[in-house]
Amino acid sequence: MSKEQFYDPQQIFSEKDIHFEDIPVFSYQKTAKEQFESGRFTKEDLLTIWRDMRYIREFENMLLSVRTKKNFNGVEYMYTGPAHLYIGEEAAAVGEAFSLRPEDFVFGSHRSHGEVLAKGLSAIEKLPEEELKKRIEGVFNGRILNIVKEHCSETDTKKLAVKFFLYGLIAELFGRETGLSKGLGNSMHLFFVPFGIYPNNAIVGGSGPISAGGALFKKVNKEEGIVVCNIGDGSIGCGPVYESMNFSAMDQYNTLWEEGFKGNLPIIFNIMDNGYAMGGRTNGETMAYHNVARLGAGVAVNQMHAERINGMNPLAVVDAYDRKLPLVKSGEGPVLLDVVTYRYSGHSPSDQNAYRSREEIEAWQKIDSIQTFKAELLEAGIAAEEDFAALEAEVTGNIEEAFLLAVDETISPRMNFEKEPDAIEKYMFSNEKIAKMADREPDVLGPKEENSRWKKIQKKAHYAFKEDGTPVPASTVYSYRDAIFEPIFDKFYEDPTLISYGEDVREWGGAFGVYTGMYESIPFHRLFNSPISEATIVSSGVGYAMLGGRCVIELMYADFMGRAGDEIFNQLAKWQGMTAGQIKMPVVLRISVGALYGAQHSQDWTSLAAHVPGLKVVFPATPYDAKGMMTAALNGTDPVLFFESQRLYGKGDEFKTVPAESYEIEIGEPDIKRAGSDITILTVGATLYSAMKAAKELEEKYDISAEIIDARSLVPFNYEKVVESVKKTGKIVLASDACARGSHLNDVARNITELCFNYLDAPPVLIGAQNWITPCAELEKEFFPQAQWILDAIDQKIMPLGISKPAHNFTPVEQIRREKKGV
Amino acid sequence: MSTVITMPQQGLTEESSVIAEWYVKEGDAVSVGTPLFAIETGKATFDVESEAAGTVLGIFAAEGDDVPIKAPVCVIGEPGEAFERPAGAAPAAAPTAPEAEKKPVVEAAPAATSAPAKSNAEEGVFASPRAKAAAERAGVDWHNATPTGAEGRVMERDIAALAANRGRTTIAAKEAAAEGEEEFEIVKNSGIRKVIAQNMHDSLAGMAQLSMTAYFDATELFAFRAKVKAMGEKLGYPNISINDMILFAVSRTVLDHPLFNAHFSEKETKIFHRVHLGVATNTERGLMVPTLFNADLKSLNMISREAKALSAACRENTIKPDQLTGGTITVTNLGNNDISSFTPVINPPQTAIIGVCSPEYRVRPGKDGEIEMYRAMGISLTFDHRAVDGAPAAAFLHDFCQRLENFSLLLAE
Repeated sequence: MSKEQFYDPQQIFSEKDIHFEDIPVFSYQKTAKEQFESGRFTKEDLLTIWRDMRYIREFENMLLSVRTKKNFNGVEYMYTGPAHLYIGEEAAAVGEAFSLRPEDFVFGSHRSHGEVLAKGLSAIEKLPEEELKKRIEGVFNGRILNIVKEHCSETDTKKLAVKFFLYGLIAELFGRETGLSKGLGNSMHLFFVPFGIYPNNAIVGGSGPISAGGALFKKVNKEEGIVVCNIGDGSIGCGPVYESMNFSAMDQYNTLWEEGFKGNLPIIFNIMDNGYAMGGRTNGETMAYHNVARLGAGVAVNQMHAERINGMNPLAVVDAYDRKLPLVKSGEGPVLLDVVTYRYSGHSPSDQNAYRSREEIEAWQKIDSIQTFKAELLEAGIAAEEDFAALEAEVTGNIEEAFLLAVDETISPRMNFEKEPDAIEKYMFSNEKIAKMADREPDVLGPKEENSRWKKIQKKAHYAFKEDGTPVPASTVYSYRDAIFEPIFDKFYEDPTLISYGEDVREWGGAFGVYTGMYESIPFHRLFNSPISEATIVSSGVGYAMLGGRCVIELMYADFMGRAGDEIFNQLAKWQGMTAGQIKMPVVLRISVGALYGAQHSQDWTSLAAHVPGLKVVFPATPYDAKGMMTAALNGTDPVLFFESQRLYGKGDEFKTVPAESYEIEIGEPDIKRAGSDITILTVGATLYSAMKAAKELEEKYDISAEIIDARSLVPFNYEKVVESVKKTGKIVLASDACARGSHLNDVARNITELCFNYLDAPPVLIGAQNWITPCAELEKEFFPQAQWILDAIDQKIMPLGISKPAHNFTPVEQIRREKKGV
Repeated sequence: MSTVITMPQQGLTEESSVIAEWYVKEGDAVSVGTPLFAIETGKATFDVESEAAGTVLGIFAAEGDDVPIKAPVCVIGEPGEAFERPAGAAPAAAPTAPEAEKKPVVEAAPAATSAPAKSNAEEGVFASPRAKAAAERAGVDWHNATPTGAEGRVMERDIAALAANRGRTTIAAKEAAAEGEEEFEIVKNSGIRKVIAQNMHDSLAGMAQLSMTAYFDATELFAFRAKVKAMGEKLGYPNISINDMILFAVSRTVLDHPLFNAHFSEKETKIFHRVHLGVATNTERGLMVPTLFNADLKSLNMISREAKALSAACRENTIKPDQLTGGTITVTNLGNNDISSFTPVINPPQTAIIGVCSPEYRVRPGKDGEIEMYRAMGISLTFDHRAVDGAPAAAFLHDFCQRLENFSLLLAE
């Protein structure tokens, strides 16, 4: 427990210096001959290294050719996709992959074709033949392999696997359904789990925290292998990359985590340092570090064992991995490698090279790894021209063969939406129910029944009112907070892969006490405080789930989603789709919607989440719903953004008794919280209670019977109940605490208008928060929808009630004025 | 550009007309053809329709005001458009539209208590899709509903109210609606009803009216009618009715009894040389009496055509005021309703009115002592005893009946 680490001022303020170890720069000075003679490499090893570099060069030349000349080897083909080429950087990728085992996973960037090829060829080389066969046969029921088998006469499994891999990659780049991700990943999001290739990422630095999450998975679940995060020198300018390095080296791994789980995350941050971030020169223009390797000293006491490596020499890179892999595997990582390399081609085909001179490019071409390495092997007498000629023929032959197969529309069709309208749709969500992601016994500190919180909950009243109708005191009522705790706590005892983290979730129990007492039963390696690194909290969850685990992660305030924007919207939301369903994403992202704390702590950002495809978005408003929906989210395999309201944590259930046993509420099903006949009120989140108040007044003062529907979910959403209600009442008010402009309820209102147009007796009326900053607590009633606003909206837009002093102006004139002002 | 609606001249002679009723109020949206107000002339009321589309900006005369011909009555234009209120014009009778909505949008955020604007008002009345569907099911026109929705929108409940008033709802709904219902309803008298009331009262209060009824043998009339039915159309004659024949007979008889073709006043009796027949006509709006001028000069054929045209003009409300005055004697016919005799009320200042009763079968002694049944009709004559005495009246009635019995001879003239 961190309490045991006494933070002693006497010690803190004692005078001393901070010492850094020297950072090695290009320490590798051996020759190929020396290495060959010492027995480190066989001739075959060295030739394979050359061959793999040559594969990368040929592959990229092919892509450059079809991208810019629309032709490769005389065959016309129009490729219009991205081409962030690896030409010039081949040694860095092949050197890296040389020592990696199939169980080691690589993550990449937008420029990762080289790493993908090198890792794939390496895995083919290292996998036992039977295992290799099994793996490639298993891909999409053998569809890709069968195409290759049908058109090539290869019988050798490894050689066949190379052809399979090249073809799958090219088909993927060309958006073919026969690609490694059915054409949904493409150039910048390549992915192939059987060979340990985890996603490239089109967002610079995006792989940083995902890789850390992958490493976390390996560590927590004691899986073999390490993780390599291949990102560029430009990504060092991205905050989440720093976050992920720190996350990989947090003190708690050694100070607090249990025996057997000590040690930092098994990860190598392999910075492919080609000197440019698009056109911006990192060393000399946009960055301050001079050498990326310097950064390690700023992250961790072990300086991340950072080194600057000659990435133009494959053997220098192999040497670095030889030395670093044992460190990482023993928990002494993370490691930072600054692998210096150079790309001859532009950032992309549109690059004019305005930022660098021809002389510079030519100077680097003179030390081109493929040329110099070949010359070195020839000179050392290790290999002969015929060796290279044979390999050259293999490389060019295989690439051409794969290319010809991939461009053939009959052999390699694209998705056919006429035949299969849900071709992409079906991959947006996996929609599975898997109670536990692994079968072993979960690590816990003791039986559930001994947990103090658990015991307390058992004694609580599961309904907000006593038999005589008076409210149960807050201290003894089963609250919204308990309803979230309980299913997560239960799941810790069911799914051994489940971990949960976020800011202050352990001893503090989360800022709002949802997890109070959980730490008594759940060990550190399953429940821990994260740094204040929202991007990494989310994306490490993405990486953790991608490798096969389940996690519940938390953002303390919805307002902090901005800090994790890329991670929520580009990573969490997208990977199930971009991998054509090859991975699942069982991540529950808890997001607490604040109140009373002003502009940056009181925003309901559910609408932002609902906009981006690939996320399930829920916002329960009662303990019954919170428990059932959390249970459903935890049993599912999709990313669920689970919004909670800080107004509700202490509330008991005012609608029904919450069952003690576990149950699920289907995500996407709204719930009628109050039956009525004259008007429908649809709410999201805590606004339910304002609507209930308004309904009471409508009944008592105006003899209007309101039906209240609690949306509960934003995505997915079943409109049937709402449509049925509106057909009955002809009128609907939609209310939530989200700012009115761009509120998801506008979308709902539009759908209702389309679905119920002929039944509408008035336009659907939306009520949201003002399009302002959230003011202080005392002024919140001017900002958030109040019960009176609902009455005012009905009075002014649906049917006059005769309200003489409205609290809110819904008139068309005011509506136009506000929109004109953008407020 | 606003349009000023002035008091129209419906007839040739009137110099002013009285506003009988306003159908619109200031702020109401109107289109071309929307009835604006009713005017009252001596004999009837007329609806004045809007010549322009827009909003009623100003109303310058109240109900009951006598407005000179061509004087401005109201103005139609765009909401907020400036217009001049004529000097001495009556202040608006109806409440004006809220001023707030016409004000330019202010920069500062208006207080939440500002009056709700009715944005649709200037574009007319709208109904919700649900209300329209409900109106179709109920078979009512939603335009007739009283809107109670926001922005003046007709809602489903307004259709329900409309349908209930029309008695088109289910029995259960009617019973539910009947609870708490008033035992009677008050219907405001229309302009024409007021005119009739005044005329009838003046008539009975100002004259010494006396009625007498005689029966005539209508065999010849019905024989003639049968001929018309059988051959008239073929030969190009109009569908001459029994009533047309009676009108014709009056025109050919009354000049021989000049006191019955006259206007009587305390000072003098105006005896006319031509017969201007008042033809009492029943319309949806009430009784109207257009004049068939110079009937004594017209053939039966012409009288038939003109009588039909006049009655159609009355029913369609296209009759001109000048056609509603100048009668010298009136014929009224209740013959369609099995009426044996009645006491028609004279149109002052005429001296007589002839009431036509229903045909019936009567008996009389025939040859060989047999009882003979024949087709008879009653004629009820009311005359002003101030102008003429009973004996001449009986003589006129007798003469008239004889001529009707020998209708073919009349045609010989």
